[in-house]
Amino acid sequence: MILQSLDVTPEELERKTGWELKPEGLCKDDRCVSLPAKARTDGRLDVTVVADRLGMPLVHDERHGVWALGPESADHVLASAQLPPIVLQDVDGRPFDLASLRGEKVLIAAWASW
Amino acid sequence: MGLPVWRQLRTELHPRGLEIVTVALDLEVDAARSWIERSGAEHPQLVDTAHKLDELLGIVNVPTALWIDESGTIVRPPHTAAVERYDFSKLKVPEGLPDDLDAHIRDMLEQVKRIPRFDADHYVEALRDWVEHGASSEYALTPDEVVDRSGPRLRAVAEAEAEFDLGQFLHHAGYVEDARPHFRAAHRLQPENWTYKRNAWELVSPGIQGPTDFYDGDWLADIKAAGPENYYESPDF
Repeated sequence: MILQSLDVTPEELERKTGWELKPEGLCKDDRCVSLPAKARTDGRLDVTVVADRLGMPLVHDERHGVWALGPESADHVLASAQLPPIVLQDVDGRPFDLASLRGEKVLIAAWASW
Repeated sequence: MGLPVWRQLRTELHPRGLEIVTVALDLEVDAARSWIERSGAEHPQLVDTAHKLDELLGIVNVPTALWIDESGTIVRPPHTAAVERYDFSKLKVPEGLPDDLDAHIRDMLEQVKRIPRFDADHYVEALRDWVEHGASSEYALTPDEVVDRSGPRLRAVAEAEAEFDLGQFLHHAGYVEDARPHFRAAHRLQPENWTYKRNAWELVSPGIQGPTDFYDGDWLADIKAAGPENYYESPDF
């Protein structure tokens, strides 16, 4: 997830990473990780603390003042067999939510022009 | 590219309950556009310019497919999708190239010929079997098997994904040169991810993906280092 500053709203974090803020901490699937009080200021989350607690890499481009927060390390890339939420676009920029295909069998085929 | 084959399979199997979604792992929408527009396909044809699928599903090369059942459960995690038949005996080096380029391309073709090919007919039979029999098909895996088959996301891979994300963001914001160090870092952190490498090489050395000052590797050097026999993971059907 691309960040222009090192704080983020819990809603934004959940939308981009799937980690949801709950009273017990940040939760995803059946895991919860507690969050120290210093991680929350005025309803926003300190990304450096979140990255540290969840084991996510935070990389920086100094010149442009942007960061990218990578995913957490894991024993398996697929934490469950449920297809994660994926919304992509067609060539004209129209969004397409893969979840809209529930009820059909689906084969996703990744290819490239290169 | 496989698009004509996916179109054909969709025509056959859509009436039996299968939808196909093709996703181009292209940084530039316009690189994929003409292939998509010419394909004549009726199924959704999407573009993943940020390579979200690499991060979310563990994709590292193309062609790669996965199968998902009616409830949204993956029954075959990402696997090499061998649907095209190749005849490499017909591959020839174009005439009239400068000597160094001629030698480079000859060398590339030798490597290409050593990339393993998988049984396209068997793959399509397996797909038909699953479309017909669903969970009772021998090719549909249980949720536990699907999770077990997906490899670990190591710290270096997670970092590669963050670096590629920064690179694609800067590239799309118009800072093409500033994106390159991040692409290079992604290559170093996850050398087995051909999508990160080939996409970046293609932008600076179209068609050949040869050595440049911008990147440490190139297609020929990297496939020799990895071994062409390891270029595709066996789909294991």
